[in-house]
Amino acid sequence: MNKQPLAITVNGHERQIFVAPYYSLLDTLRDELRLTGTKKGCDEGDCGACTVILDGKPVTSCLVLAMSAQGSDVTTVEGLATPDALHPVQQAFIERGGLQCGYCTPGLIMAAVGLLQDNPRPSAEEVKFAIGGNLCRCTGYTKVVEAILLAADRMASQC
Amino acid sequence: MATFKVLEQNNPRVDAWEKVTGRATYAGDVYLPGMLMCKTLGSSRSHARIVSIDTSRAQALPGVRAVITGVDFPEIRFGSGALKDRYIMARDKVYYIGEPVAAVAAEDEITAEEALALIDVQYEDLEPVVDPLTALRAGSPSVHPDLESYEGYGFTIEGGNICTLLDADRGDVEQAFQDADHVFEDTFRSQGINQGFLEPMACVANVEANGRLTVWASTQGPYQVRAQLASVLDMPLSNIKVIPMELGGGFGAKLRLAFEAFPSLLSMKTGSPVKLINNREEVFTQNGPRHPVTNYLKTGVNKDGTIVSREAYTIFDVGAYLGAGPNSGIGHGLGAYDIPNFRLRSYAAYTNKVYVGSYRASGVADMTFAVESHMDMIAHNLGMDPLDFRLKNAIKEGDTAVNGSRVPRNGLFECLAAVKERLGLPRELPEGHGVGIALCEWRSGTGPSTASISVNEDGTVSLLTGSVDISGSDTSLASIAAESLGIAMDQVIVARRDTDLAPFTGPSGGSRIVYSQGKAVELAAEDARNKLLALAADRLGVPQDALACADGSVYVQDNPPQSLTLGQLAAMSVTSRSGPIVGNASLSTLPYAPVFSAQAAEVQVDRDTGQVKLTRYVQCQDVGVAINPMAVEGQLEGGAVQGIGRALTEDMQFDPETGAVRNPSFASYLMPLALDLPELETLLVRVPSEDGPFGARAVAEPPGFGPPAAIANAIYDAVGVRIRELPLSGERVLAALRGEGNDVAYIGDELQELKRAEGLAV
Repeated sequence: MNKQPLAITVNGHERQIFVAPYYSLLDTLRDELRLTGTKKGCDEGDCGACTVILDGKPVTSCLVLAMSAQGSDVTTVEGLATPDALHPVQQAFIERGGLQCGYCTPGLIMAAVGLLQDNPRPSAEEVKFAIGGNLCRCTGYTKVVEAILLAADRMASQC
Repeated sequence: MATFKVLEQNNPRVDAWEKVTGRATYAGDVYLPGMLMCKTLGSSRSHARIVSIDTSRAQALPGVRAVITGVDFPEIRFGSGALKDRYIMARDKVYYIGEPVAAVAAEDEITAEEALALIDVQYEDLEPVVDPLTALRAGSPSVHPDLESYEGYGFTIEGGNICTLLDADRGDVEQAFQDADHVFEDTFRSQGINQGFLEPMACVANVEANGRLTVWASTQGPYQVRAQLASVLDMPLSNIKVIPMELGGGFGAKLRLAFEAFPSLLSMKTGSPVKLINNREEVFTQNGPRHPVTNYLKTGVNKDGTIVSREAYTIFDVGAYLGAGPNSGIGHGLGAYDIPNFRLRSYAAYTNKVYVGSYRASGVADMTFAVESHMDMIAHNLGMDPLDFRLKNAIKEGDTAVNGSRVPRNGLFECLAAVKERLGLPRELPEGHGVGIALCEWRSGTGPSTASISVNEDGTVSLLTGSVDISGSDTSLASIAAESLGIAMDQVIVARRDTDLAPFTGPSGGSRIVYSQGKAVELAAEDARNKLLALAADRLGVPQDALACADGSVYVQDNPPQSLTLGQLAAMSVTSRSGPIVGNASLSTLPYAPVFSAQAAEVQVDRDTGQVKLTRYVQCQDVGVAINPMAVEGQLEGGAVQGIGRALTEDMQFDPETGAVRNPSFASYLMPLALDLPELETLLVRVPSEDGPFGARAVAEPPGFGPPAAIANAIYDAVGVRIRELPLSGERVLAALRGEGNDVAYIGDELQELKRAEGLAV
């Protein structure tokens, strides 16, 4: 199938690319833009490893057709850190041991970033709800929840 | 507790930065110029002769570069152990639904998928056998009629579909049963389980200009993949380089050759790099999961609660091929108890289902569910407190373990005491609530391990091992090197390895990395330290034993300012007579070091629906020394959650007629999510092992063993029903509350047949 033009802003950069009409946003990020930090765990919307922020909301990018994101703004895990510093959520995951194999980590981090945009002071239950679509097989979630709460604390105290 | 500078600290993982920024590179993240995409065609039949395969229409599809079938591979059977029972791609027969029969390389994935639909396979159906108990019966269809002619077949019981037996015996079991005051018999069933790793199997293969094959793999065992790949491609092992990429979970499923041979052969045929990534359905249907297991236990007990004998029989379904090998769960048929007389048997039966894979101490979680449920049932029957009954029979230092080893000092009793104290046991709970415990045992894994440490001119050290990082093992190995050499964690560089570069080592699995590979790192660091001390002694003009190594320097103990930094020594070593400083170590096995874990669950059971709500989970494990407490807790929490999934929701369902996997997705195979779980309470006991690095023991496996039995025991405590089959679903609990169902298949006839075949009295 012929590729079609797509204008999309990814991590602050405006991109003009051509993608096949059946391509998901996930496959576009990975195959066309080589932003491989966003992971494919199931391609069915069940695992959350492909979570990105699309126009301000966390979404599973495997369930978004790339062409439907025409003109949209996307943030992936590669777009969080500045050259000088990690995002507070990334920093907290490191300090609290919120990662093991790392494959679900980008999706969890993006789900957490999405949560903290809307709810800067979440309870532990709200954190668990926000990551309720993210499977992690290594950590048992305890340290993930701790990390997100730590990041929330730090971000709120900076405001 | 000894004082450490690096160990027992919550140092961040060495790979944390890469992983939180999305920079960590997994096999699926490898993109090469001109790379083709591979897809495989799975068999639509459970048991059939392949009459013909026509690939001409697929070959003719624009964008398709090559199509292969089983006959394109050398006619060589391979296996995980001695028994060679499997072709890498079906040749003349298919043995399960999903078994690869053809593979395509095309310019993109969608073209490869289109091509699969154009491949015409003609089958002649054979009668399948799906249930392992049926497979054992005389007259059952035979999965491998020519089994006895296969290389490595060494089994002596004829008939049925039995491919292996594991056995262990001690004492006079029959006499002990006759003499015992009570004899208890129970049968337990556990369900099919998927390892649930988040990263699907992935691989890129490329034939290099010099004719060598490079394979970027998602694997726990690069050297094992290299050897098996060499075998199925019939090429010299030294022509293959396996690069283990970041591993997105494996839990045993990635210990062996998976599909790496397909892109490899397609790369050889096309001259282009070829990538294969499984989709989630393929992970469920083509990669070895765990099949349902039946465990039968018989225990002789005296009036005072002393266990005198145990008989355990496991009927283990291996699916179409021996895959992960015989079921090691039977070796845990005694549990953590000292039982003088025993007979343990595990029979592995072939069926027409996907072959079995490994998963986090394969078979032991099934056996622990059986043993620890059985222990509770006996205790209640004898009117004893379940915890006291366990304490009375628990194995102690100096006893003889099931494997014949002397039991060394360990923390079993401390673990039980810690859980008892945390929960305030024995404890009365409100109606509908219950508490249950489980005692789990495992051993620290051994096997070939190597390490090499070079000291750099800036005082850092480079650590090279062949081990793939699983759950932070690189961080643990770097911590051990840093502690040994008296340097900071950030002074250790963990080298990226491949099979050309690093010396041979066993796979990353079976709780062996910290204990055995860590020991190799400790010994390599000692070797490097001795060389540093010798050089410093020479340059400082003092005897070697007057020197110490700490804080990045070697110094004279009586006069610390008289010192040389590691960087200075490394620079001097380059032109010294003894040469640059490299510490090496190589070892094969280490002595038996058991690991014990006590676990407890509190539940609330809804009598109207049977729903079980897990309200609290406590575990305490003897870790010897916590190399990194945060990482150890992370392992224990993650393991327990896998066990909670096994206890309550996870259930791979197989069609009883065809053996097809009925629920091959995360939407229908239910792994725990954050909201499903109570707070996990994780306690550590530290009784150092005699031989592990700095006294460390294995950590990874036992946390997942306890939840099924602990929760089943808690359900009994709450509402008085005993569930002998996993998962402990609301449906099963409700049926039991209504006095219906809850029957585990009767296997008495099969047991009698097996015993007769072995010449035992029945």
